Amino acid sequence: MTSTPASAGSAPGAVMIEARGVEKWYPNGFHALRGVDLSVHQGEVVVIMGPSGSGKSTFIRTFNALEDFQKGSIWVDGMELTDDVRNIDAIRQEVGMVFQQFNLFPHLTVLENLTLAPVLVRKRSKAVVERQALELLERVGIAEQAHKHPGQLSGGQQQRVAIARSLCMEPRIMLFDEPTSALDPEMVQEVLEVMQELAREGMTMVVVTHEVRFARQVASRVVLMADGQVVEMAAPDQFFTNPRHERSRQFLRQIA
Amino acid sequence: MRTALPSSPLQRLRRELFSSPLDGLISIGLIGFLLAVAIALVKWALFQAQWAVLQANSTLFAVGRYPLEQQWRLWLLTTLLVGATGLSWGLLRGLPRLDRVDQLWPRNDRIAVAVVLALAVLAPLFLKLSLAIQLRWWLEAALLVATRWAAGRWALRIPPPARRLVPLIWPLLYFAGMVLISGGLGLIQVSPSEWGGLLLTLVESSFAILLCFPLGILLALGRRSELPLLRWSSVVYIEFIRGAPLITLLFLGQNILGFLLPGGLAPDRVWRAAWVLTFFAAAYVAEAVRAGLASLPKGQLEAARSLGLPLPQALIHVVLPQALRVALPATVGQFISLLQDTTLLSLIGLLDLLGTARTVMANPAFLGRNAEVYLVLALLFWCGCAALGLGSRALETRLNPTANPAR
Repeated sequence: MTSTPASAGSAPGAVMIEARGVEKWYPNGFHALRGVDLSVHQGEVVVIMGPSGSGKSTFIRTFNALEDFQKGSIWVDGMELTDDVRNIDAIRQEVGMVFQQFNLFPHLTVLENLTLAPVLVRKRSKAVVERQALELLERVGIAEQAHKHPGQLSGGQQQRVAIARSLCMEPRIMLFDEPTSALDPEMVQEVLEVMQELAREGMTMVVVTHEVRFARQVASRVVLMADGQVVEMAAPDQFFTNPRHERSRQFLRQIA
Repeated sequence: MRTALPSSPLQRLRRELFSSPLDGLISIGLIGFLLAVAIALVKWALFQAQWAVLQANSTLFAVGRYPLEQQWRLWLLTTLLVGATGLSWGLLRGLPRLDRVDQLWPRNDRIAVAVVLALAVLAPLFLKLSLAIQLRWWLEAALLVATRWAAGRWALRIPPPARRLVPLIWPLLYFAGMVLISGGLGLIQVSPSEWGGLLLTLVESSFAILLCFPLGILLALGRRSELPLLRWSSVVYIEFIRGAPLITLLFLGQNILGFLLPGGLAPDRVWRAAWVLTFFAAAYVAEAVRAGLASLPKGQLEAARSLGLPLPQALIHVVLPQALRVALPATVGQFISLLQDTTLLSLIGLLDLLGTARTVMANPAFLGRNAEVYLVLALLFWCGCAALGLGSRALETRLNPTANPAR
């Protein structure tokens, strides 16, 4: 079931995200990221874990410039992140993002949520995008809700729409910022299954989550962050059974 | 709380008004008071009030000193407005996808038509207009009902591309109206100093309402901008305007606006006043819109931006549609006060409705007829404000994405 899409421009295994020595201070002086390094290769699923306040969300939000940073450098799909607005918009088109709070557009229908950006940004024909959007909704299992508004859907359905909305831009990388944390427990699984399916299809993914089972089954690597630094980076088996650092053991005890 | 079973209106009235001795006493007292007021009012209106002051000056109240031989232009404009209203109204009801009311003639529409017809027949009679003019008003009312009926009936036969052009009628009509009123394009110029009464009030308030809205949105966005200069100039503007009484700004505007605005934009007192009203209302609209913007979760903009939408598109397609819906009631409240604030124009010597009233009452022939004039003025303003309020509420329910369609 593994298929790696051979996209133009980067061979399988190419580096999709490269972060070097990223440091960030919030305007109030809080040192949120203290020199974080990370490389993500094509087709990899990197799961970032860590206690709240460890900077993991802040870190992945720097990848599509939702957060700025003061030191270090980040390359996304071969482009270096700069202040240039065009550069940022170009990178954002390649990077899909799924938020904890879904952030669907409540004034648009589900279908319009999916088609808005491809039509406006990629300038693709509305009819073509709609067909693709319906296929995506089919894939995440909610095609029959296409003409409802997000407010009429359950949390799990909304998050699956949000994933489909990102995919509709045909991104090369997907970022997930605690995608199941705001969900009722019985809805977590349906969202994780969609993500798992996406990973199987070879999507490059960076996932901030507390879902240990997902990390064990899907992750290529697990990263533990604490206090704005990477504490440990390891394959999931090793990380969960035999972590090297005391900080990791402490964290695993807390979430167990 | 347990409530009673449905019952006849009479039973319900008895239960609601006389459920206990105290309730009954209060009800009887209030009913008596209201009856007394109503009887006194009717007695005054029928036997004491002398409506000649309005009958003799109805043209003055309607259009001021607009030249008689050019008044056909205003009739033409009225006819165009009536036709466009009927067309839009009919299309709204006739195209169920545009509207949540899936009915060609809902009850509210039937009531509205009845009110319009009654007004078109009774108001000209009351004002003792000449038969020719009465006839014109009947024809206007008939035109409204006819276009409303025809557009509703045949809405679905109009090809979709043409349907999409219909809203464009309104801005076009606004410019056409301005040309018809003021002249140009082959029409004789009618100087703004000759406009008056209801015409002037409507020109001033519609100009200010239409322009203060986009200006207010820009100011609200400026106030939340990340660029310090833009943010601070917006703040200073908004706070300065909101801190000054309108009347001082109106006097100030008459003196300095000629220098501030590029030549030709504020050539005379009427347009200077219109700009002051616009700038004044924009500051308040900006605050209403800012509240709407603040009510949106930060994630909405972030989601739009993370999809690659540039900031202007994210604002237009994601942020503003939601923020403006929240800001709508406060914004329309602002429009309503703007309409009422036009009466201040009489204090800087313009002959709006109130200004006209003051000149009429200064005429020795109509001395002491203040009550009649002010009552009608109050009713006129009430109608305008009620229309704005009703429109806003209808728009609010239509824009609410989670409300269940009324079927």
